[in-house]
Amino acid sequence: MKFLCVPCDTPMKLQTVAPPERGSLSIVYACPECGYEMAMLTNAYETQAVQSLGVRIGPDSDSTTTAPSGSTCPFSAMIPGTEDARGDGAEPAPVQWTAAAEARLAKIPEFVRPMARTGIERFARDKGIFEVDEQILDEARDFFGM
Amino acid sequence: MKGYHDIVGDGGSGILDQVAELRSRITDGLAGVRNLVAVGSGKGGVGKSTLTLHLAGALRARGLRIAILDADFNGPSQARMGGVQQAVFVPGTHKVSLPRTSDGIAVFSMGSVIPESEALDFESAAHGESHTWRATREFSLLGEILASFEWGEIDLLLFDLPPGAERTVQYADFLEPRTSFVLVTIPSDVARGVVARSAAALSKGSHRILGYVENMSGYYCRDCNAVKPLFLSSDPVALDVPCLGTIPFDPELARHCDLGIPFTALRDTPVGRGLDQVAQRLLDAL
Repeated sequence: MKFLCVPCDTPMKLQTVAPPERGSLSIVYACPECGYEMAMLTNAYETQAVQSLGVRIGPDSDSTTTAPSGSTCPFSAMIPGTEDARGDGAEPAPVQWTAAAEARLAKIPEFVRPMARTGIERFARDKGIFEVDEQILDEARDFFGM
Repeated sequence: MKGYHDIVGDGGSGILDQVAELRSRITDGLAGVRNLVAVGSGKGGVGKSTLTLHLAGALRARGLRIAILDADFNGPSQARMGGVQQAVFVPGTHKVSLPRTSDGIAVFSMGSVIPESEALDFESAAHGESHTWRATREFSLLGEILASFEWGEIDLLLFDLPPGAERTVQYADFLEPRTSFVLVTIPSDVARGVVARSAAALSKGSHRILGYVENMSGYYCRDCNAVKPLFLSSDPVALDVPCLGTIPFDPELARHCDLGIPFTALRDTPVGRGLDQVAQRLLDAL
């Protein structure tokens, strides 16, 4: 979808995206020539259509653009072994992640991230290690037969 | 006044660019996969998943490098049957490593992510209207899986498709044109009729149909050590694609699937020999 400022015959630029509210996105466009602003307000079906494509909505310059769904993992509540799903009441010893290991984790799809984090931390704890670094990730790969 | 095609980009999000980028990541991720084969049917309950896993086992026993993508996100079964339900996905340097069955088949299945007591669910702005968006969301997820997991240098990636003739065609539209299809039927007229429709629908596209496999083709009685008739059909519906082989029904196979026991345990049985024949004909057809 594109927006054109008719008086200027100029394509409008996306300025801001407000997080979904009751299923509606508010997306503001502005004309770079005359500065005229307009907002596109989506209904729930339109919001969902974009959400289902798995794309980010936001202005060019914003690298942390707002996904219509927000950034929560839609699967986390149902993944075994995550903090929410553990349910045994026991607090496991905290495990730290090095920046490099976190960076590797961040590359994997959001829907498997909580499960991967929990499984790897459990693997580290079982070895008596409380910091996950790239070496532990490689050892986990070998251990799980990958 | 300018028209749509006079304007470059969409003024911000670059949605088409994002879709193209995902496509590019999928192509890159599958670059080391020599053959893509989708196992579908159109009909449910004919044994697509069982056949996929054990066909993979037969191919693996020949020394080939095999992976399975369980594309039945709503009814995943490969994780249990492949014994990778408790697998942990570990991030590699670029992509996510895949768990392997005991005979070395790499498997992605939602059954490793979501327990059997839960159903796959997505956040939605359009509550109660999933018929308007759900298929799109699932294909978006499929794209993310293809792009993000480490398929590596392998001989064959098998897709275990969900049931539904229309779904089979949707997967054909989504997957790369080089993806070939194997259809699974059973010897009932009802199943063959639905599979014939799937073959007709697929034939309108550019994907190759390698052939069909007749599953549950007789019943293997271990007491008699003989294959006996299971379905009686007087006038079977013609399928205008080659038959890659027949596999008898064997309760022992079902037990193996429930317990995640690999193909090698059944190799010297009518089922094992049938699967081996299908594997050979599949390789000949590719």
